[in-house]
Amino acid sequence: MLKINGITTRYGTVEILRDVSLNINEGEIVALLGANGAGKTTILNTIIGLIRPIHGNIFFENKRIEKMKTSEIIKAGISMVMENRGIFPDLNILENLRIGSLYEKDEKSINKTLKEVYDLFPILKERENQLAGTLSGGEQGMLSIGRGMMSKPKIMLLDEPSLGLAPMLVDGVFEAIKRINNEGTTMLLVEQNAVKALKIASRGYVLQKGQIITEGTVKELKENEVIKKAYLTI
Amino acid sequence: MNNPNIKSNDYSQTLYKKISYFLTIIVTEVIIFYMFINFLSSEGIDYRLFLFILPIIAFFVIRGNQKITNLVKESYSQCNSFSIIFMILLLVFIPFLFKDNTYLLHICIMSGLYLIIALGLNIQLGSTGMVNFAFAAFFGVGAYVSALLTINSHFSFWLGILAAIIISALFGLLIGSLTLKSTGFYYALVTMAFQIIFHLLVNNLRFTGGSGGISNIPFPTIGKHSFGSSLNIFGINLPFQANYYYLVLAVVLFSLYLAKRLYNSRTGLVWNAIREDEVAAKCQGINVNKGKLEASAIGAIFGGMAGSIYAHYISFISPESFTFHLSVVLICIVILGGLDNILGVIIGAVLLTVIPEKIRFFAEARMLFYGIIIIAVLIFKPQGLIPERIRKYNFLNFKKDNI
Repeated sequence: MLKINGITTRYGTVEILRDVSLNINEGEIVALLGANGAGKTTILNTIIGLIRPIHGNIFFENKRIEKMKTSEIIKAGISMVMENRGIFPDLNILENLRIGSLYEKDEKSINKTLKEVYDLFPILKERENQLAGTLSGGEQGMLSIGRGMMSKPKIMLLDEPSLGLAPMLVDGVFEAIKRINNEGTTMLLVEQNAVKALKIASRGYVLQKGQIITEGTVKELKENEVIKKAYLTI
Repeated sequence: MNNPNIKSNDYSQTLYKKISYFLTIIVTEVIIFYMFINFLSSEGIDYRLFLFILPIIAFFVIRGNQKITNLVKESYSQCNSFSIIFMILLLVFIPFLFKDNTYLLHICIMSGLYLIIALGLNIQLGSTGMVNFAFAAFFGVGAYVSALLTINSHFSFWLGILAAIIISALFGLLIGSLTLKSTGFYYALVTMAFQIIFHLLVNNLRFTGGSGGISNIPFPTIGKHSFGSSLNIFGINLPFQANYYYLVLAVVLFSLYLAKRLYNSRTGLVWNAIREDEVAAKCQGINVNKGKLEASAIGAIFGGMAGSIYAHYISFISPESFTFHLSVVLICIVILGGLDNILGVIIGAVLLTVIPEKIRFFAEARMLFYGIIIIAVLIFKPQGLIPERIRKYNFLNFKKDNI
């Protein structure tokens, strides 16, 4: 569904990604693991069109998207859940969610998706009129994921959704991601928390210093000694 | 056998409720109107100022009473159209009340004009987060375009205001497109530069009349009636200012309607998203550049409309009316009233236009006192006088019980 071929991305003269290739099939949850600064967020930003790669191309459902505008890429069916939530602080929860489905013309359909989001995260419904900036970290995380759902995307890109959350909330987030995936949304999950990510993913890639060093099914990754030592001992 | 009684009880209950809503609105709006009239017509520190302050004190005292505040809130939300219509009715009376005091009518007209511009600025500053210091220039563009078009030709004011709208929209687009990549502080600086450039240009070009400006700008006419002559309604002779008062009132109502519709629409939501976080907005599929250009053009139109009316009201415009100082006052109006809040902008425009007139007796210290008032409000109410905003979810059609 999403094919990333040989992407090289630079910020000025610094090369962040070198010849990165990923493949995500429909219905999967694919984990992208790596330490801080490995380039995981850069990959997502390149997919979504915030950065243009120097070399390589990206195909989404047979459409070349690496040169497209971000607004077009989103409309094509890709949704992004940003690192640090990226919620709109002075707008309330309902408005934040509404922005997630700006291009949907059918009001009934928006209502239906909103109900799905509220079913998944009941606390968002409770605090519907509360300003998003006053929510706790966990609630903002839920809002961010809910907002990503509102555009009914074919694939969701999640950038470290468990970042900064208390361990109890982290489980809730991963459970929600699994449930969304069960409804049919493909996921590309960028995570530092390798253990939890591999629990719900089917395949994974490991990124180190801008290059993919390993890839494989979750089983293969768990048996890989190098990976085990570096990422799975926590 | 009690059924018929219960039914008529329900009916009389709701009727009783409706009547109490109407009465509440009538009473509160008459009081506000009365306050405004007294504030406006007070001379120095006299009894009328007292009549203005008294209800304000009463407001703070009554505010604690839950029953009354709930009644007021419910009345205005349940009978919204009535409250608007009634207020318009009251406003229509003003030229009759001030027919012997054209100075007060003039202040009302100027407040209305500044309100119109401020609504445009609110779209950029309040909704979209663009700190635009060039709004006096949009005001000026509207005024000069309308004046130049009508001065030595047979074109009427009505064509002038149309041209003013188009040209100021283009001017807004120009500034908008040149500042797409400028953020925050730098955007403000670039708009300041535009404002100053505009002032320098109209001050030095012969085409715009130089520092002498343009005079003898023709009065608007409707049929045989010229706005320069007195207005006769129901046998009462109103001074010529009344013509402009009603024109401004109509344009103010139109502007408020436009601003409210935009705020409640997808466009308004997009603007807010851009204000909150441009990158996050992009990640939601929002075309940020398009949104900014829309805000730039539409905001400028408000300034252009007001400028055209101004030119044909005063009949004389010069560069001194469109300076950076006015841009700062406009920004103060929006910030003081409450960013992104239409009611706040109304209050801000009225206060900041009327107060300088009221404190004329301070003479040289006038501007100092004016500045002190602004600073004082910002210390006690940093979010503006009316910070809270409630978006009506008309376009969402959410029926809460379905979810």
